[in-house]
Amino acid sequence: MTYRAGLALGILLGVLAGIALVALLLKKKVLDMHFDERQELARGKAFQYGFLTLLAAAYAYGVSDVVLGRWCDVLTGVSICIALSVCVFAVACILKDAYLSLQERPRAVMTLFALLSAVNLGLGGLYAASGDLMQDGVLTFRAVNPIFGAATLVILVVYIVNHLLRDREEAE
Amino acid sequence: MKNLRMKSARAGLDMSQQQLADAVGVSRQTINAIEKGDYNPTIRLCIAICRTLGKTLDELFWEEG
Repeated sequence: MTYRAGLALGILLGVLAGIALVALLLKKKVLDMHFDERQELARGKAFQYGFLTLLAAAYAYGVSDVVLGRWCDVLTGVSICIALSVCVFAVACILKDAYLSLQERPRAVMTLFALLSAVNLGLGGLYAASGDLMQDGVLTFRAVNPIFGAATLVILVVYIVNHLLRDREEAE
Repeated sequence: MKNLRMKSARAGLDMSQQQLADAVGVSRQTINAIEKGDYNPTIRLCIAICRTLGKTLDELFWEEG
């Protein structure tokens, strides 16, 4: 098996494992997709913001590639765009109390996010230490892990800060 | 505009926002947003709230000019 075929197989297996994990979490009701009418409206608006961010980020990435030359692998560039738009969507939802559904337990979901963030940032740290993160000045596909780790960390921090501020506001 | 009539009707039944939210199948934040006037509920949710609180639509949601 060539290096590229192994790489493609690894990515495919990773994606399949991710889909299986999400399916399991949905089945176990850790993740749930039932929202009330106000939350549906807020999420619709958040989807708009996320979509527009994705368009802008994809265009900016394309322009940066033309102007600066190749500075990252395509997979990394696409991952940055997706992570940015997911962050915008999630933050817009969190600020409107529409991120978690009626059935989801905030503590379980945020523990999952903390775990995902720690694993991905940890992998990023390992890659950085071994010098695999950059090759010839180009950010390699291995940067995908820390990018998604950073995205989940941003969502986690915004959720916790918003939760604490809201609790204080309601207590006053 | 704040919906003080809904808030007082809920308080009159000694119900918390969470209890009302559970009874009508929405989040507590949605009930809070309705009471604060930040969200206009659909007629379906208005009816569910009225039934739970034992009030009419006019009593809770009609605003005189």
